[in-house]
Amino acid sequence: MTLDQLPEGIGIAGSGPAYHGNVGRRLHRRNLRLDGGGLVSRRASPSHYHSRVHSLVHYVLVYGVSLIFINVLLEQLGAPVPAVPALIVAGALSRDGKMSSTNILLAAIAASLIADYMWFLLGRRYGYRILRTLCRISLSPDSCVRDTEARFERWGLKSLLIAKFIPGFSTVAPPLAGASGRGTLAFVIYDGIGALIWAGAAVAAGRAFHRAIDRLLAALENLGGWALVVIGCLLAVLIAVKWAQRIHFLRQLRLARIEPRELKAMLDRGEFPVVIDVRTPGARKHNPRAIPNAILVHMDDVATQLGDVAPHTEVVLYCT
Amino acid sequence: MLIDKGYTKVRPLAGGLDGWIDAGFPVQDVA
Repeated sequence: MTLDQLPEGIGIAGSGPAYHGNVGRRLHRRNLRLDGGGLVSRRASPSHYHSRVHSLVHYVLVYGVSLIFINVLLEQLGAPVPAVPALIVAGALSRDGKMSSTNILLAAIAASLIADYMWFLLGRRYGYRILRTLCRISLSPDSCVRDTEARFERWGLKSLLIAKFIPGFSTVAPPLAGASGRGTLAFVIYDGIGALIWAGAAVAAGRAFHRAIDRLLAALENLGGWALVVIGCLLAVLIAVKWAQRIHFLRQLRLARIEPRELKAMLDRGEFPVVIDVRTPGARKHNPRAIPNAILVHMDDVATQLGDVAPHTEVVLYCT
Repeated sequence: MLIDKGYTKVRPLAGGLDGWIDAGFPVQDVA
C-alpha cells in the first residue's frame, strides 16, 4: 500500500508535517493527523480506534505492498529472506483494515511470477545445469537435484501448485519446468495459482491469528528501536544456523564423494567399481549419455539391482 | 539405502554426469 492508498482518515501518529517532510505533508493534505504514536484522523478521536498503530508498523503500512513485493521477489529469486512472516503480518493488518489483502496477494503473486518466470527461462536456456547452480546456493541441503527431478516427474506442472510449501523445491521447480520443456502459458497458470495458494494461506493465517500478531507487534513496539535489532538478530541467527548446516553437510559430502578423475583412474587401472546411473527417465531423455558400462536404474530399485554384488564392492552413484 | 543393505563403499560422483563430461571423459549413448 502506498501512502496515497491509505484509507481516508488514517494517518501516522506522533509526527506532523513540520518535521516529517514529505510524508507529513502528504498526510496533512489527506486530512490525516499524527498524534502521540498512533495512526489517527484529524477528524476523529483516537478512541475510535481499538488499537493504535505504532511507529514500528508505520512504514509497513505506508510501504507495505512494496515491501511484500520486494520480500517475495528476493525469496523466490533464492535469497535466504523468508517472506511468509511478512505475509502473515500483512494478513493480520489486513484483518484490522489497515492493509488491503487484495493488494497484498497481487503483490505477492506478481513478485513470485516475475522471479519464477526468470528461473523458468534460465532453465529453458541452460537446462539441468541451472539446477546444480541452484542447489549450490540453496540453504536447504536436504533437497538435491535428483529428488526435485523425481518429484517434478511424478506430478508434472501440478507440482507448482504446492511447490512453495516444500523447502528447496520452491526455487528449483520453475527452472525444472523450463529445462523439461513445459509450455510457457501452462507454467504461468500453474505457477500463478500456486503463488495464490501459498500467499493466500499465509495471509489467511495472519487474519486468523491477528490478535496474537497485534500483541506481538505491540511487544516489539515497546522495545522501540531495539525491536529492529531483535528482528535483525533473529534473522541473522536463522541464516547462520542454516548456513552452518549447509557447510557441515557439504563437508561430509565432500569427504564421501569420488572425483571424476579418481573414478577414471580406477577404470584405467582395471578396477571396475559398480557405476550406477540413478538419473530420472526425464533427465536421461534430456541428456541420453552415460558413463560407459554404468547400470541405469531407478534409485528405488538400486538395492534390488545389486543383489548379486558383494557388499565390499566399490559402488559409485551419479545423477545429472 | 545401500549402506543399510551392507554396502560399505558407496560414493556419489562429484559433479555428477556433467562433472564427468566436463572433465573430458568418455560417455556412451543410451538413447
